[in-house]
Amino acid sequence: MTLERIKPHLPWITLLALVLIVGAADSNFLRPQNLISMTADIMPLFIMALGMTFAIYIGGIDLSAQSVANMTTVIATVTLPTLGIGAALVCIAAGLIFGAISGYITTKLLVPSFVSTLAVGGVAYSSAQYLSGQRALYMDAGLRDSSFGWMVGKTAGIPHEILVGLVLLLAMLFLQSRTTFGRALKAVGAGELAAVASGLNVTRIKVIAFALSGMLAAIAGLLFSVKLSGGSPTLANGFLLPAIVAVLVGGTPLTGGVGGVVNTLIGTLIVAVIRSSMLYFEIDATMQQMVFGIILIVAIAATIDRSKLRVVK
Amino acid sequence: MNGILNRETLVKWAPLIVLFILILFFTVLEPRFFSVRNLARIAISSAPALMVAIGVTFIIIMGSIDLSMEGTVSVSAVVFAFAFLALGGTILSWAWLALPLAVLVGAAIGFLNGLVHVKLKVPSFMASLAMGFVGTGFALLLTGGDRIRVEDEVFRGLLTERWLGFPVMVYVALAFLLIGWFIQSRTALGRNFYAVGGGEELAHASGLNVNRLRIMGFMLAGVFYAVGALLAVGRIGIAETATGNNFMFMSITSVVVGGTALWGGVGGVWNTLVGVLIVNVIGNGMVVIGLPGYVQDGVLGLLVIIAVVLSTDRKSVSFVK
Repeated sequence: MTLERIKPHLPWITLLALVLIVGAADSNFLRPQNLISMTADIMPLFIMALGMTFAIYIGGIDLSAQSVANMTTVIATVTLPTLGIGAALVCIAAGLIFGAISGYITTKLLVPSFVSTLAVGGVAYSSAQYLSGQRALYMDAGLRDSSFGWMVGKTAGIPHEILVGLVLLLAMLFLQSRTTFGRALKAVGAGELAAVASGLNVTRIKVIAFALSGMLAAIAGLLFSVKLSGGSPTLANGFLLPAIVAVLVGGTPLTGGVGGVVNTLIGTLIVAVIRSSMLYFEIDATMQQMVFGIILIVAIAATIDRSKLRVVK
Repeated sequence: MNGILNRETLVKWAPLIVLFILILFFTVLEPRFFSVRNLARIAISSAPALMVAIGVTFIIIMGSIDLSMEGTVSVSAVVFAFAFLALGGTILSWAWLALPLAVLVGAAIGFLNGLVHVKLKVPSFMASLAMGFVGTGFALLLTGGDRIRVEDEVFRGLLTERWLGFPVMVYVALAFLLIGWFIQSRTALGRNFYAVGGGEELAHASGLNVNRLRIMGFMLAGVFYAVGALLAVGRIGIAETATGNNFMFMSITSVVVGGTALWGGVGGVWNTLVGVLIVNVIGNGMVVIGLPGYVQDGVLGLLVIIAVVLSTDRKSVSFVK
């Protein structure tokens, strides 16, 4: 089947085509400076999508990512004055813990991931409200720059957000393709029952996958809060839909097992190009959510592996 | 055998017992909790939530899930408000037509939802989540982010007119609860929901058109979401993109806490009534005894997990995604 052979290459072909179409309509779009700042702006979303990739890769979903990111914008802002750069560690630990709890509830207590992560998201939202006193908080500019200034600076014209995203991508790529955990993850994604039968500790692998998702959502929140110099329980609202879209249009299907973190980079860039193309084509910003919702449906339907679903519930 | 029987009895009655304990608990801590005024307050916040939760109950009984309620509620509310104002702005004119129109819109979104799920063979949680995003986006597109005020006194009578201390909207919600109960227990449609939830392959083998049934289920859910949207607009007098906010978490929580199992085939609209009351009693009670309202989401999150764990027969489920 030729279609089957083209399918893995569709994401980057789509990205290239979109870039060319938007570039043809307005050549300003293709200026390196514009492309770089577009990429830098999408980095918090990319990091969240990077984590979401693991949850989707094993056939689950993480609906708590946005709430966890919201929570860490608050944690980062609240702990910055006392802990300085240590605030990052608290954020990462909080993300890991919330993700691991989702994973535990899903695998050990047999609660489907869309419910367990929704519930854990509720807990994260409550925590954010509690920590922030239900207000939007602001970081002290001096403190922010001394602890986290390195996250948002520029070197040789390259914004540091891109470097942060790149380092995380390389780390996750290493984890996915060069470690036993990565291979086990692939086995679980390809067929959970077979993975159990071959003696893998599937519970542990799935818990780690959700923990990674939580951790990266937390880092996304941290970067976003440093970028905006503040935190609030609703700061990262609007991240969930594009994050899921990024994973799916990148070519990691809802049924898991194929795709991976590099696909998610491509998917995120597709999201970024579509977003800025709406600007160039003067499409009203209020259309954006609807457009992404429709793209999500198309992407799910096009990528999902129906042979894995005996009954579509 | 005895153990299983015990668990089943516990699961069946636990929600009602929990509701009574909660009411007792809050009343002991703060007697004002049990005043007619406060009970009416609980009933008012429960009424729209009950409609949405009943809608999704049918879907969960089928063993599927519907996460589109936030978008559907927003679109129905906004379309209602626009049509209502365009047709005269008071129930006493042709503007009453906006009521059935909103319900039709709800049904249409449910129909689309069902089509995406069944025809594109996409799991319902994702098909409906995506449709929900589209719905919210569409509502945003219609309003451009504005709020639409519906100030007709007759329509707002849903909230302001009271019988026996409770506003009209509570009685409207009860009437639709009875309709939901009728559909669930006295129609072929209702019985078929349970048949699919109990075992889809069996239902299919016995000649049931499962795909058609699913689409009808999503349409029915859409109708109830639209009724919920109308009550929500009646309650605050405003329709906006955010009208649907928080309904997803609230309604799924209510249904599950009420004892309708996520695996399908078990539970029903009365369970959902109990679940909605539990959720709203907790929300209201925490405020009445002086706890900050935001603790609610956290407590509900924990409650959902406990409820799903309790209702899961661990022998019949090997793994979940």
